[in-house]
Amino acid sequence: MAFVNQDTREIQLKIVYYGPARCGKTTNLEVVHRLIRPDHKGDLTSLDTVKDRTLFFDFMPLVADVVQGFTTRFQMYTVPGQVMYNTTRAIVLRGVDGVVFVADSQWSEMAANVESFRNLQQNLALQNKQLDDIPYVLQYNKRDLPAIAPVHYMEFLLNNRGKRRPSFTSVATTGEGVFETLNMVARLVLHRFVKDASAGPGRARELTLA
Amino acid sequence: MTYELSRRDVNRLRKVLIELLDQSEADSCLICDGAGHVLAHENVNRQDPLLISALGAGVFAATRELARLLGEDEFSTVLHQGMKRSILIAAATDEVLLVVMFSGEHRVGLVKLYTPTAAAAVRGIFESIQDRGPTGEESADRNFVLKDSGTIFAGTEG
Repeated sequence: MAFVNQDTREIQLKIVYYGPARCGKTTNLEVVHRLIRPDHKGDLTSLDTVKDRTLFFDFMPLVADVVQGFTTRFQMYTVPGQVMYNTTRAIVLRGVDGVVFVADSQWSEMAANVESFRNLQQNLALQNKQLDDIPYVLQYNKRDLPAIAPVHYMEFLLNNRGKRRPSFTSVATTGEGVFETLNMVARLVLHRFVKDASAGPGRARELTLA
Repeated sequence: MTYELSRRDVNRLRKVLIELLDQSEADSCLICDGAGHVLAHENVNRQDPLLISALGAGVFAATRELARLLGEDEFSTVLHQGMKRSILIAAATDEVLLVVMFSGEHRVGLVKLYTPTAAAAVRGIFESIQDRGPTGEESADRNFVLKDSGTIFAGTEG
């Protein structure tokens, strides 16, 4: 849920990287943090375990000058991919404005991709949201590995809904496809924000009592 | 979905925060929502208010889940007490949190005493906003024009 602070002239938007365990969500943020211009980023904070598996989430603020008269802050999160952390995933998804679904291209991970995609829809439903109503893009990661599914198969598997969404191939470890994915989801989220905001002020109704 | 606070709304929230700092002798405080957005803050300049909001919202949401597991309606406050610095997170509404940071063991009581009053004031502000239509001034501020957003973020290499 986008937030506009008219006092500081700031817009805050939340983007979540979602996907199965070890698909490269954290790597995406690490690469962005390493390569992006210093004046566009804050610190990358990772809440992980000793084995570098995401325990709660990774968080990194990005700032951009894309709306006239406003500073736009994108709050970038990842979720833990491991199945047992579903409550945490649902928490991180609260108030999400845009999603990057990172899929692992290896044949062996197809079932996990499908399960995670289904899980994303279920967790959005807990907030009374539908995936089709949210800007999202797909990223088919690990394209450098040997036993990978062709892109058209992954499209058939994950991008088969009524409206096809933008999708990107990537090798997150080298940075390939990372910024293309980021820019597309940011652009989609911004366009949705302008469309929603011009439809009328949401005010602060959603923040009052249930 | 989008929501916004006018300059006047934010100033009302900041006034509550300033009063809380004054009464409780806390160092800094902020108001954030359940998504981790920063709504207002006072004296949080040395830390990153975005990060505190993200972590605070996450911690409080996790605590809510614990309460649910234990059969409790809600833990209305969360206190993390350290040797030098401490933090208290309190729910103002279902979706709005008040985060208070303070030093020294002796201030725990003051912070615990005054935070519920501040949380109630924040809650009152959001209730008053709820049914109010936008003023002319606020409507004039709501003209969001996108600049060319072809490449929003560029890498420095690669």
